[in-house]
Amino acid sequence: MSGAITSVDGAPLVTDEAREARPTLTGPLPVVLSIVIVVGLAALVHFLDVNVPTWFPQATWVGSIEFPVYAIVIGLVAGAVLGAFGVREALSAAFRTEFFIKVGLVLLGASINLAVIARAAGPSIVQAIVLISTVFLVTWWFAGRLGLDDKLRAVIAAAVSICGVSAAIAAAGAVEAKREQLAYVASVVIMFALPLIFIEPWLVQVLGLPAPVAGAWIGGNIDTTAAVTAAGSIVGDQALAIAAIVKSTQNAMMGFVAVGLTAWFVYRIERKPGATVGLGALWARFPKFIIGFVIASAAATWFINTAVDPKAAGAMVKVAGTDLRVWFFTLAFVSIGLEFRVGAIREAGVRPLLVFAVATVVNLTVALALASVLFAGFSLT
Amino acid sequence: MSLTQPPSGARAQPPTVATAGRRAINEDWLATIVGLILVLLVLAGVITDALVP
Repeated sequence: MSGAITSVDGAPLVTDEAREARPTLTGPLPVVLSIVIVVGLAALVHFLDVNVPTWFPQATWVGSIEFPVYAIVIGLVAGAVLGAFGVREALSAAFRTEFFIKVGLVLLGASINLAVIARAAGPSIVQAIVLISTVFLVTWWFAGRLGLDDKLRAVIAAAVSICGVSAAIAAAGAVEAKREQLAYVASVVIMFALPLIFIEPWLVQVLGLPAPVAGAWIGGNIDTTAAVTAAGSIVGDQALAIAAIVKSTQNAMMGFVAVGLTAWFVYRIERKPGATVGLGALWARFPKFIIGFVIASAAATWFINTAVDPKAAGAMVKVAGTDLRVWFFTLAFVSIGLEFRVGAIREAGVRPLLVFAVATVVNLTVALALASVLFAGFSLT
Repeated sequence: MSLTQPPSGARAQPPTVATAGRRAINEDWLATIVGLILVLLVLAGVITDALVP
């Protein structure tokens, strides 16, 4: 594991040996090049999304390929090419999946009526509490059975049960995990989330799930917020709206888990004499983009409801809630591919991967059951 | 731009867990502010559909 090369939120975590072996680019140009790469690839995705269906008018299935598919595939290919030339780390300044996805989610808020968020909040909170508790405890228990280190158990359990990389960072800080453990979990989270982006929308179709249930299922069990958004976008706008609300609710629980983990490790595992646990982490770990998401929804709802011409006002809001949002999501999905590193999989070892696999299956099953019950009959209108 | 080998003995350390946590929190606020500014500009009519490809 010590040789793993990966990143956390775009910040490369590399070994000293790897650093020495690789030439680095210096100066402002790498940042400019990085921005050009991400924006250029997003523009390519937009071009393909618009034009590919017209190139193959006979193949109707081509028209059903959504932009996240193009974005992730193109990002993966571009990341592999940059990696092959040894310049990916040096050009990674603008590969900011988390930033782009959070801006996109705030913009998405503008397209969702505040009343829908208010109605979805109740079932979302119930689902989040039951799902996080179940998946966290099962993962913690199973990782213990396999003899994993307590800190690695905590980081994996938080990542799988709450919201992927962000939760892994919060948990790693709470239990003072090693940076190699955090880097490793961050990579494996993406490794498991990537196939689910495509598998879950397909399963939604196979199972014939209504949009709110599909959204709640996707939002509940896919780990990373970016992957939830990609899968939700593939299913459709209604599923995406519920998936975003459900995932945001899970994100909001992150502070509670961080405080709980800190207390558990301080008082039960490490038994530090005289140590205390502050509640400041509740606010520090609260995802601020959720505030932006709700404010954007409230502002857009008020704007439309008080407009002289609500139809024209709705068209204006669509520029933020749909047009701009799709651009930021495209930048995020391209970045997912650019940030993905195959090397981390080789470094992983079998036992943690087995924990991830079991946790993912449990997460899929419990989330489907909860979504089917809590969001049955939910209306988005 | 220059293509250089980093000097040995002056190795930059990879970000610690604490650094990654601070970065995530700062990025969270930045994304929120950028998103809300864009929404405000759209509602104010500054950014119109003609400006978004």
